[in-house]
Amino acid sequence: MKSLRSFKKSLWVYHFNSGSCNGCEIEIVAAITPRYDPERFGIRLVGSPRHADVMLVTGPVTRKMEPRLRRVYAQMPDPKMVVVVGVCGSSGSPFYESYNLVGPVDQVIPVDVYVPGCPPRPEGILYGVVKAVEKLEQLEGKA
Amino acid sequence: MALETALETGYGFWDPLVWILAVAIAAAVAYLIWRAGEEGYKRGTAQTEAFLSGNVQPEKGAIHVRAGNLYWGFLEALAQYYRRTVPVHTGVLNDYVLWFLGITALIIVIIGLMP
Repeated sequence: MKSLRSFKKSLWVYHFNSGSCNGCEIEIVAAITPRYDPERFGIRLVGSPRHADVMLVTGPVTRKMEPRLRRVYAQMPDPKMVVVVGVCGSSGSPFYESYNLVGPVDQVIPVDVYVPGCPPRPEGILYGVVKAVEKLEQLEGKA
Repeated sequence: MALETALETGYGFWDPLVWILAVAIAAAVAYLIWRAGEEGYKRGTAQTEAFLSGNVQPEKGAIHVRAGNLYWGFLEALAQYYRRTVPVHTGVLNDYVLWFLGITALIIVIIGLMP
């Protein structure tokens, strides 16, 4: 990872479940355990999108969750990143043609990083968050 | 001549210079806290709305406790009374004059009947 010259604050992450089976949630919880301890770098989960720099989205987007996903994304301050965790949010996976889905996450809000897997390993999730930091770095550097 | 600013009140002293200094320090602390806040919010957008788990923010009047809500128990206890008296308040002045004359006549009759 490049040096954090532009993005000086701790990276706060908000998790949004748009219809996940909770498999990805379990891996996200595993990723914040002391084994990986991302909080030593200031990376932590927060309870409100208004405090977040990055949104982790898990699951394909169901019709019920679509307006909420849009609203929560709109409530995040700029600059913001979206990381899709799991293959369901990336492509719809086995639910691709379901009558109750709006589609993958990138059909509802802009996505910056995809972390494939069913579910992805904690290392993969952390790598995705690091990629989001790099992208934030570029955005902040240009501003 | 020495500048006298402190006012001895018998209960302590009141010095405007001390107060000006205290207000200046408080303003400086408030400014530092404000400056450390999030700069990314855009006014007039969803970024300044309350977060309600992604749900729509209701109108302020729909969620705030109104002054009338404080009288709920009182109105509920006297519901029978209000059910009869509220319709009487028609807002027509003629009705009120008639009520006044009628009640006055009734009082005069009652007083006249008293031994």
